Amino acid sequence: MRLLRNPPNQLRLFSLVLTLAAAWVGAAERNPHSVQVTIRTILAENKSDDYDPKLKGMEQQLKPLKYRSYRLLKAEDQNVPAKGTGSFEIPGGRSLTVAPQDFQDNRIALKVRLTERDKPVIDTTVKIPNKGNFILGGPPHEGGVLVLSISATAQ
Amino acid sequence: MASFQELVSRYHQKVYMVILGLLHNRDDALEVAQETFLRAYRKIGSFEGGSSFYTWVYRIAVNLAIDAQRRQKRNPLDFRETMDGVLEAQEETARDPFADVHDRELRENLIRAINELTPEHKAVIVLRTIEGLSYKDIGEILGCSEGTVMSRLHYARKKLQNKLSAFL
Amino acid sequence: MRDCQNIRESIGAWLDGELDAAESESITAHLASCDECRKARQQLESIQHILKTTLLAEAQQIEFLPFWRGVQLRIGHKTSWYEQALQRARATFTLSRAAWLVPASIAVLLVILSLESYIPGWREGRNSFASVESIDAYGRNVALLRQNESKTTVIWLYEDQEGENETAEEPAKSAPAF
Repeated sequence: MRLLRNPPNQLRLFSLVLTLAAAWVGAAERNPHSVQVTIRTILAENKSDDYDPKLKGMEQQLKPLKYRSYRLLKAEDQNVPAKGTGSFEIPGGRSLTVAPQDFQDNRIALKVRLTERDKPVIDTTVKIPNKGNFILGGPPHEGGVLVLSISATAQ
Repeated sequence: MASFQELVSRYHQKVYMVILGLLHNRDDALEVAQETFLRAYRKIGSFEGGSSFYTWVYRIAVNLAIDAQRRQKRNPLDFRETMDGVLEAQEETARDPFADVHDRELRENLIRAINELTPEHKAVIVLRTIEGLSYKDIGEILGCSEGTVMSRLHYARKKLQNKLSAFL
Repeated sequence: MRDCQNIRESIGAWLDGELDAAESESITAHLASCDECRKARQQLESIQHILKTTLLAEAQQIEFLPFWRGVQLRIGHKTSWYEQALQRARATFTLSRAAWLVPASIAVLLVILSLESYIPGWREGRNSFASVESIDAYGRNVALLRQNESKTTVIWLYEDQEGENETAEEPAKSAPAF
């Protein structure tokens, strides 16, 4: 420990620790071992003028869709391993499959497939900012339309 | 600057004497003496007046001289060579030719003997002999106690007496 | 009565006037009657005298004006703006400070680079939108939209009117009114 009384040695040790930390953080960020995927299934319709309080924080994203009411049908989280696949049940006999592809510049590439009665409806690859989301909407349901908010956070 | 010039005027020879006593080389002593006043000029703002001005300046001078001694690579005989001119000049004014020779030998040996002292012992002898400073002032300049000054002086004088007994 | 050895050890301090009255008196009395100690005193006085006169003679050759010019030159030289800046830099960037400057810089850099992770939307511009790399709607009509206000990317599927899918109550409004 006497060595550490010497400022140059303190500098070396501190720099080494910081470099290792930076490398570890950088490595963790570049190659997340899993992605936390959250799917919010929302029913948008024009039968009433209600805004589900559970959708607080999403007004700016949903109101431009110009429906009169929005109701959260379900919210589901899954920790999907990198290069793995997560499946989410969507009302109306539908299923959403999400597969994280890669992580670069703090953006997560997700391969997303929506199927209906086991038939593919849409396949898309979207790059979203880490902790960000995108909207997939349009499938009809119970007189309204389904709006899916797909968000992901690298772990 | 004018007041500093006055201070330099008052102390420059005394400071030079002390440094010459420590360094034994005229050119080095002159350089260190000028450096002493440069340092004093720079630090004059921090002189709090706790000690007298001359003990403050001597402290700077002695520290610089001791540093210079450590860097000095010339051998002690150089001192005798550089002092020869002084000794010759002094001899011209002496009346007794035998006394001249005796004094010259004594001086040369005195200088050699002083040169053999450690910097710390040299410093106490020079400060006491040239300036007649008190043990307290010398201690302040050298950063040691009065008791240390006394014991160093005693040691230095005893050494000089032993080396110069044949001439004294 | 103190012995000569003892007395000789104090002669220097006695000559310097650093002894108290009692001690001083005792030495004075001894010196009056002891030749050896008197001789020791004379030797000390000679040494002091010769050293002082030698160095004094030398010092008196140092004229003030040339000496002062030398001091002025040093003062003038050392206070050039470049030298001052260099001295200030040396005083500021000492090794012990530099020892922390480097890791502190690394830490600051890391914080800046990590900011985006902790402050969503910190970087404005296209990066905050999700970007669609590929899309296959299996023959269906699909619209790709961007909401500038919320920085949201929307993929909107239009109904397949020929298929067996449920239809919305108000078909005219099944698509978002962008």
